[in-house]
Parts: sequence; C-alpha cells; structure tokens
Amino acid sequence: MRPRRPEFLASTADLLSVAESIFEEWQEVGAVGHLLARNIDTGEELGFDVDTPVPLASVAKVPLALVVLDQIASGTLDPATPVTIDPATKSVGPTGLAAFRHPVTAAVGDLVHPTLTVSDNASADALFDLVGVDQVDERLREWGCAGIRIRHRMQRMYDCAAGVAGNDFGLALELAIRDDVAGQHSIETLNPAYANVGSATALVELLQRIWLDRISRPEATAELRRVMGFQVFYQRLSSDLRSDSVRVSGKTGSFLYLRHEIGVVTADSGDRVAIAVLTRSHRRASTAHDIDLAIGAAARSAFESLRA
Amino acid sequence: MDLLAHLEAYVAVAEEGSFSRAADRLYIAQPVLSRRIRNLEQHLGGELFDRSRRQVTSTDLGVLLLPHARDVLGRVDHLRQTARTALASATRVLGVPPDCDPAALARVIRAGADRGVTIGVQELSAEERASGMADGSLMFALLRVAPETASHRVPLGLASAVAVTVSSRQRLVHLESLRPRRGTDSGSPPSILVTAEDEIGFATERFRKAVARAGLPEGRVRAVTSNATAVAETLAGHAVLLCAEPFARRHGLAWSPLADVTLHRGYELATATRRVGQRETPALDWLEPLLAEAIGAATEKTTVDSGVFAPDARSGMAARG
Repeated sequence: MRPRRPEFLASTADLLSVAESIFEEWQEVGAVGHLLARNIDTGEELGFDVDTPVPLASVAKVPLALVVLDQIASGTLDPATPVTIDPATKSVGPTGLAAFRHPVTAAVGDLVHPTLTVSDNASADALFDLVGVDQVDERLREWGCAGIRIRHRMQRMYDCAAGVAGNDFGLALELAIRDDVAGQHSIETLNPAYANVGSATALVELLQRIWLDRISRPEATAELRRVMGFQVFYQRLSSDLRSDSVRVSGKTGSFLYLRHEIGVVTADSGDRVAIAVLTRSHRRASTAHDIDLAIGAAARSAFESLRA
Repeated sequence: MDLLAHLEAYVAVAEEGSFSRAADRLYIAQPVLSRRIRNLEQHLGGELFDRSRRQVTSTDLGVLLLPHARDVLGRVDHLRQTARTALASATRVLGVPPDCDPAALARVIRAGADRGVTIGVQELSAEERASGMADGSLMFALLRVAPETASHRVPLGLASAVAVTVSSRQRLVHLESLRPRRGTDSGSPPSILVTAEDEIGFATERFRKAVARAGLPEGRVRAVTSNATAVAETLAGHAVLLCAEPFARRHGLAWSPLADVTLHRGYELATATRRVGQRETPALDWLEPLLAEAIGAATEKTTVDSGVFAPDARSGMAARG
C-alpha cells in the first residue's frame, strides 16, 4: 500500500508534527487510515483524513447503544423487557451471547453491557431488532450526527463475507484486500456506500457530546460512559496508555482488514481526550499485534500532546 | 523415391551376382528388391543388369555407376557415424540453483568425466531452469516443487551474523519470535532477506503469508537480487537471510532452520524426455545423489504436515471486538 500524503489537521505546529509522525509509524507497519484526537475541554486537536466515511464494523455498537439507552431513559423502552436469544437464529460471533450454545433470556438493559464490553454480535443484533436499524439511523440524524450512517445489523458483515468466501476467513481477507486495491467491493459491508459508516470527525464529535452530556439524556450518556469503561479489549487503543491514573473507555471494531477503535482517555489530572482511529491494512493476518501497538502508540502520543 | 535404399539394392545385387542372395543380405523380399532395381533403372534412364542369362551380370552402365553408388553410400555411412559420435560425446547441460556448493558441483562434473559423460553445469534462476527444460536447452535441471511432494527437501532457515536463537545447540526458528519485544528499544528490527531462489511463485506466496500470520509487517521481508549483497548485509548485522544451511556455513553465518517445514525448499530432478537419435536420454543414476548433496538436501525423509490450526471459522469471519 502506497498511501498518498494525507490531509493533516492540527491546532498547532507541534501537534502537526505529532500527527505526521503517527502517520509515518503506521506506514511502517503497513496500516493506513484516519485519526482524530481532540481534547474535549480545550478543543485542541490533531489528526489526518478526518472526514472520510469508513465502514465501522463493531464501532457501530456505540451509536446503537446510545439510541437504546436513550429510549430507556425516555421511558419508551423498559430496561427489564426480557429478550430470548436462540442459538439457531442468533448472530455469529466469538464472544458473549453469540458464543452461547443454549437459549438464553436477558433483559434489554443488560444486553447493552456485552454489546459494548465484549463486542457481542448476538446482543447487538437483538437490540437492533428491538429498536430497528432505520430508527437508529433516523435518531442519529435528528441529533445532527451527519457523518454517521447505520444501515445494517452486525450479522450482515458475516453474511456478506461468507457470501463471497464461504467459511474461509483467509479467502475473504484476500478478496477484501484485492477489492481494496481495485477500489471496488464484492463484500458489501466494506463498501462505504452500503455499510455502516462514520468519519473520524463524526465519531469524535459523538464521543465529545456523550462525555459533555450534549446529546440524548444525561441518564443515557452516563450509562454509556459507564459501560464503555468496562471494555475488555486492551490490545489496541489502550495498549500503551492504561495505568491506575489513566483510563480508556473505548469500543473496538475489527472486520477483515479493518482495525478501529474509538474512545475517550481520561486522567486523574482531569484531562479528557476523545480519539477515533480507523485503519485498514493489506496484512494477510487476522492478528497484527504490531498494528494494534502502533495504534496504541498513536493514542499515547496524541493524549500526551493534547493534555494540558 | 528413397534413392539410398535403391542404391543399396543396386550395390548388393552387383556384389552378390544374384537377386535372391542380395534380398537375403538386405533382409527384404525379392519382389521388393526387383522393384527397386526397376525403379532405379527408370530413374537413371538405362538398364543396370542383364537379366537374359542365368547368371545376373552388370551392364556397361551398371559397371560404370557402381563405384559412384558405393561412394554415395560410403559418405552417407560416414555422415551417420559422425552424428553418432557427436551425440555420444555431447555435453549434457545441467541447470542448478545459483547457491549450490561449488565443491559438490565439481564432484558432479568429475563423476561424469569418470564415466565418459561431459556434464556442463549452469547456475540458473528457478524460472530459467524451468524454461530451459521447456525449450530443450537443458538436459537436466533441478526444478522447484512444493516440499511436501519433493524427492529432495532442502531445509531453509535464517542465517545471521550472530545466532538468532539463544541456545548453543541448533534450535528451530519460529517466525513469531522475530517480532520485536515490547519494552525494549532495540532500534529497527532486522529485515528478512529473500534471494531469487526463494522468490518464485508458490514459495513466495507461502512465505509472505506465513510472515503475515506470524504478526510481522510485510515490509520486514525484502527481496534481493544479488547473493553477495545479501551476505554482506547479513554479515554486517543489518539483516537475516533466508537460505539453506550449507550456504550459510560457507559464508561464516550462524544458521537455524525454520520450524515450519512447508516453507522449506523442494526439488525434483527433471530429465529431458526428447529422443536423441535411436536412444532415449540416458538415465544417470549416479547423478541424483551427488546433486542432492550439492543443494544441501536433507538426508532423512521428514513428514511435512501442512495442516494449520484453525480456530472457529465462522467466528473469524464475523465482526470482532
């Protein structure tokens, strides 16, 4: 992958050089993509190619959860409503209720938890079925989240990949990479025209509004912030950041060549930085530790240069 | 008409003084012989034999032409003899990989000379060896095949200025272990150099895939066109070199074999199947073991297990974390 020079965005010259060195480090491990990091209190920011719509993969679970929590907060949805997830019809996935082999009944309010903490596809799709894909999209537009589009359930990603490659992950990845080079997509959920998409700007904007209680209702945003703090995946955005004094509340997104994570880094010092990292790579592997670490290094550089 | 066969019939009848004895000598039926003589007489425009007497005698024309006919047949015989001799002593061109052990190749040439066979060794790239077999310019070549099916398997490993594995005994190299360690600032990790012999079709594909699966960026692998440059960079400690053990030893490099044997080299000795004169290309039994030694083939037959551990396929395809 020979990426063109991206469009950099930075509040100061120092922040520009941070953005430039992050871009170069990503290039060294074979990743390209989009980054935006913003101090949600001062508004200072740095990043590159921030307005490109990118297929979101599991990052879409954040706006989904917000809409569900909004309905609970407004009283339209009872959080105690039981939902039964049947192994025969549930969505595919390696974690959470998606991995269960026997029917399970859980309350709507609790399904948000595995959806965000372990990226559970079955819980997420149960929520999608409850509130409706179109309704999530419409609600986002009412809130003025212009750069985010929700168009399908999580299971659609598996269906599209399996549709072209059967159950062969390696083949699906090869096809996706070939399509990316050719600029056309045989896997529809990787096509920005049909996928759930968001730009780095739109995602940081959303995180900022969630953390500042400037969207939905305070009960909903507080619950979303709380649950996002329990995410169990530390390999990416938080790989070089976490300590007892620095916390990362995030949501990852991984699908074929996509490796994303959005999140807010908060420190005991009171600094709060929202970060959206959306990457893709032609690496023919599902695990790329060095790319995850490069994302983690980027998050650390961004946080340290943006904190007061 | 086949003038030579007809002249042969003419000379035989003249020398034997009898159609039946001439037919016996040539191992053909007498009517065939008679027809040949008649055809030749027609061709030359006059009778060669007087058949009116009991004993067959040559006509004046037959006597006049006999030495010329013998001369033509003698020259043709000489032509054939020359061709046979030339073919028997022809150089047999053998295509080998460019990083063979020169001393072992010298043994191949000497073993040929001892048996009266001239072996011309050409060090060629894998593509050139394959195309040389296809266009007939090579009589023998060591062709690259997948190690699982190969007659000769050459263990590939990583050569380096300092041993990549810590133990003093030779240990297997796992590609995953080439990832830089976290928490150590060891500068940029060394490139993995790949020479032309391993930059071919399926072998490249396999190696690149294994590198990606081991969590290494594609940029770590670098193709080099010159073996000398590769050795120089490796000796300088800037890189590790994918090569066979004898090559590493010859250049004073430490070497450890790759644990994944599906990444090793496989070779098959191809022999040209075209017919030379009346003979097939001779099979040279003594050649193959000597060549196996020259490429550094493993002596024991190791079973190659290409089965890869695959976690739940369906989960891998779905959106994850």
